[in-house]
Amino acid sequence: MNLFRHSIRLVVREPRRTLAALVGVTIASSLVMSVLLFGTASGATVTRRALADLPVDAQVVLGPGVDSGGALATIAVDPAVRTVSAFDLAHFDSASTNTAGTATQTSVGVLIGVDPTYSATTGLFPLSSGTLAPGEVAISRDLASNLGAVPGDSIAFVLPGGGSVTLRASGIVSLVGADLVLGPIDAAHRAAGANAPVNVALMSQADLASHVLPKIPATATAADPSTSGGGASGGASPVFAADPAVRRELHVQLRHAQLPGDPVAAQAWLDTVRRRVEKQGAGNLQWVDDASASLEPLAKDLAWGQILFIFLALPGIFLALALSRLAADATADATRRHAALLRARGATRRQLRNVFMIATVLTALVGSVLGVAIGAAVGLALFGAELASAGLADALLRASASSIVLTTTLATLASILPLRMQLQEEIAAGRQELQRNRAPLWQRLYLDVLALIAGAVVYFLAGGSGIHPVLNAEGNPTVTLALTSFIAPLLLWSGGTLLLLRLIGASLRRSGRLTRTLGRLLGPGGELAGRSVTARAAAASRAIVVLALAVSFATSVLVFDATYRQQQIIDAQLTLGADIKAVPNGAATTATVAHLTGPGVAAATPFVDRVVYVGPEAQDLLAIDTATLPGVAPLADSFFQGSTAAGAIDALKARPDAILVSSETAKDYSIVPGDRIRIRVPDATGNLKTVDFTMAGIALEFPTAPKDAFLVANQSYVAAQTGNDSISFVLARAEGDVGPASTALAHRLGDGWQISDLGTTTARLANSITSVDLSALVLLDISFAVIIAAVGVALFLLAGLAERRREFATLVAIGAEPRQVRASMLGETLFIGVAGIATGLLTGTLVGITLLQILAGVFDPPAEVPAIPFALMGAMTGVIVLALGAALLVADRGLSRLSVVAALRER
Amino acid sequence: MTIISCRDLTRRYVQRGIDPVVAVDSVDLEVDAGSFVAIEGPSGSGKTTLLGLLAGLEMPDNGSVTVLGHDLARLSGAERARLRQRRVGIVFQSFGLIASLRVGDNVALPLALAGVPEVERQTRSRVVLEEVGLGRAFDARIDELSGGERQRVGVARALVIEPALILADEPTGSLDEENAAGVLKLLAEAVRRRGATLVLVTHDPSSASLADHHYRMHDGRLTAGVLA
Repeated sequence: MNLFRHSIRLVVREPRRTLAALVGVTIASSLVMSVLLFGTASGATVTRRALADLPVDAQVVLGPGVDSGGALATIAVDPAVRTVSAFDLAHFDSASTNTAGTATQTSVGVLIGVDPTYSATTGLFPLSSGTLAPGEVAISRDLASNLGAVPGDSIAFVLPGGGSVTLRASGIVSLVGADLVLGPIDAAHRAAGANAPVNVALMSQADLASHVLPKIPATATAADPSTSGGGASGGASPVFAADPAVRRELHVQLRHAQLPGDPVAAQAWLDTVRRRVEKQGAGNLQWVDDASASLEPLAKDLAWGQILFIFLALPGIFLALALSRLAADATADATRRHAALLRARGATRRQLRNVFMIATVLTALVGSVLGVAIGAAVGLALFGAELASAGLADALLRASASSIVLTTTLATLASILPLRMQLQEEIAAGRQELQRNRAPLWQRLYLDVLALIAGAVVYFLAGGSGIHPVLNAEGNPTVTLALTSFIAPLLLWSGGTLLLLRLIGASLRRSGRLTRTLGRLLGPGGELAGRSVTARAAAASRAIVVLALAVSFATSVLVFDATYRQQQIIDAQLTLGADIKAVPNGAATTATVAHLTGPGVAAATPFVDRVVYVGPEAQDLLAIDTATLPGVAPLADSFFQGSTAAGAIDALKARPDAILVSSETAKDYSIVPGDRIRIRVPDATGNLKTVDFTMAGIALEFPTAPKDAFLVANQSYVAAQTGNDSISFVLARAEGDVGPASTALAHRLGDGWQISDLGTTTARLANSITSVDLSALVLLDISFAVIIAAVGVALFLLAGLAERRREFATLVAIGAEPRQVRASMLGETLFIGVAGIATGLLTGTLVGITLLQILAGVFDPPAEVPAIPFALMGAMTGVIVLALGAALLVADRGLSRLSVVAALRER
Repeated sequence: MTIISCRDLTRRYVQRGIDPVVAVDSVDLEVDAGSFVAIEGPSGSGKTTLLGLLAGLEMPDNGSVTVLGHDLARLSGAERARLRQRRVGIVFQSFGLIASLRVGDNVALPLALAGVPEVERQTRSRVVLEEVGLGRAFDARIDELSGGERQRVGVARALVIEPALILADEPTGSLDEENAAGVLKLLAEAVRRRGATLVLVTHDPSSASLADHHYRMHDGRLTAGVLA
């Protein structure tokens, strides 16, 4: 007997059976394929987003005596290079002004010399006010504030080595986005999170070369930034090698279109460019690869991301494969018929099994390939552009191979059990009948209850584990993911599934009420439906469970996504401080706030953020107006330790000198509420003045300061004690949509203010895997859930039709009208639909909430309550109801083609 | 009074790649009210197809069928269903019982489809089950019954609507000789008591011998038969 030929014949000659078996595998394969492609596309998105924020891709540090012009010309001709700009940096030890007989001095900073096109090329150092005149400098807002300097004032800079230079300030320059180029370039400083200098003076490269550089000895070094103004954030400062007093650099922007989408491949490409340029420099050029450093953590982040994406889609993949079971039910008659035919031709039991096994593998393989084609089409339609940048052919090839191997294997395994049962039925019907009456092994072992208990235990034990951001060796943020966070939802999902199966099966077997209810609703057809569902309790409960899990899968993804988006906004609110933040380019006082309220702005509050010293440690002092801040900035109870938000604000209101400190500060200095704290705060002249505060509580988070060490005090008290009532910025709450309100405010305030809002902040904060827009994945998962639900119910109805051909034929023969037969099917669909959707919505919400554990560490603060997207869940339910309607139509079409006389003849 | 009237009744089955099969070929048939007509013929002779045409379950390619005064071609599918529901009882060779329903519910099914209230359904079902000797099996499951008992339930279901016409398709085909004789006798007596008409198709000459009128069917053609 040629087994392969008979297997092919089985596949070809039983098209209904083959088609039904193909459906589940094809859906599973296309889901796997499209999710893998989503992962690849998100890799390209993350890579592009990571590099888009970089003002320069590389800083090429010139060795002593190297001709800047010559090096620039050499680098500019490299095919990977888009722009090269000269950038020189000289440290100064202090800066001072003497206005109207009052001398003001500030600490360390840097003088920057750039060529005239630098700002236009990189977008860095735009002028906020004034000009950059030859022989003069544009100073940063902080330098201006610290010195009380305005354009027109002269500033004396003391240079390393003892020299000095006096330059006139002609404008104010913005430092937004310039931390990377201003900060240290060595890995050790960067890893320690060393801050970039804020006292900055910008001038032309030629002026720096002629007025400043000759006055700095070649051996001079910069003052240690960690002890004199540019200090590392938090904790004791490590000891670093001193920075040279002068850095001469070329800033390079690369052609990003040439970059592969995959971060690892992109890093390899960047490394090739680095080696090529450094080789040409013969040891005098040091390539500081900012782009590669940004990409470094992405590869690992993306691996976690892929696990997360696959995990979110995993229930869908399993469900699609579970359709194989329903398909086997729907075509059991064809299986038995063909088995009988082969037996009649002399096939042995083993041969019979092998023929069906080969046919199963063939069908799984064909289904996988079909699914790959559909998944590829879906992937290309949804994120073709990102895939193209990630290397389309390679991405398709890898995803196809993985999908085919995975789904062929899983589909074969999923089909073996029902196939064995059907063949055993054929071979030993009596014994099978006996086995059928026994509860399945998992029910006898109570695996469902055990899985639920284990899931609950893991959930509570692993609370808070999940994805966590950490700094890598280069100081770039990356994430770690506790795999335990996947275990709880997995156990709860599988335990819930089995428990559902047990409960529905048990309740169906004793449900006279169902028959009566459907009878009242739909007449005799409904009554029949109730009895039929009861009689086919096992198959009906499988269909209900497939539908419930499909709905549950879609619901959990929706809850996860909604909470993810909610936390993105809360994260942005916390970072920004409120809906809108307005930063004055010049000096501003609390009185300015009155000008900000108006159309689009419901309320505003002044905010002071000043660097102060608690002992030797620099911290941010946030001085707030307790009367107006709570109405503008979001304050959650979780921000405060041992108190509520209202309680903390009340504590500040209770005494003018009250101060909230971080838990680290409270622990390091062993202070408790009521203790006095002495803090050095800069006064109006920039000099540090010791001010006494009374500890009033512990703040873990606060608007504008999501992660750093900080203190919160009363603004009026700080102003009175330091004689400095200038504010850092104003926070505002939008009236209605944030975007238009922000635009209106920017228009009203004019050029003297920089306005940022939630929308821009959300985009800026999004990096690594949190920059991935989950909407495409959600759309994919929901679409597949709807398809699975519809196919699951259609297969149940078709299986019922196949099993009950003679029953339907009998009904028609004894006078059932077509509408009554339809009512019978409608009744079954109605019952399965209501039971499946209701339990699915409930369990999906619960699983969605447990999934949030994965995100516990991604967002700061973590989600306190999940977002339940009722409108989306309603829409999804509506689509599933429509899909069930379509399944009913398919079954009805099968019914209308039923030949009554032929069916009655069947034995 | 004529209960069934067929003129030039023809039904062909067309299958791709195979010559059309004429299952019923130009059949003319008149059946009077209250009579017992047997149509005898070997397997594949077209008997069941003819019965399907008389029941309005299939439509002819040629010719006409009038049943109980209704030209079936002029009735919609729902109207034909209602005609069967209220006036035509059908007995099947393989019983045609619905396994998920209890015995009483199976018998009451045509009444349920006709919208008869439940109390009346129960009463009428019990009465007819008593008539066929299964009064105590009202709440029994179908799989608890023997073959002969199942067919009695089938007969009861056909009788419960008090039909004017009963179409029986090999009602004894699945039964042993003893049960077959019992069921047939029961059916014939019940029909006679009601003054109804019985059309029986069978391959068994002995079953056919009980009929008032006897026809033979061969290759789709109907000829008047001779009682054995």
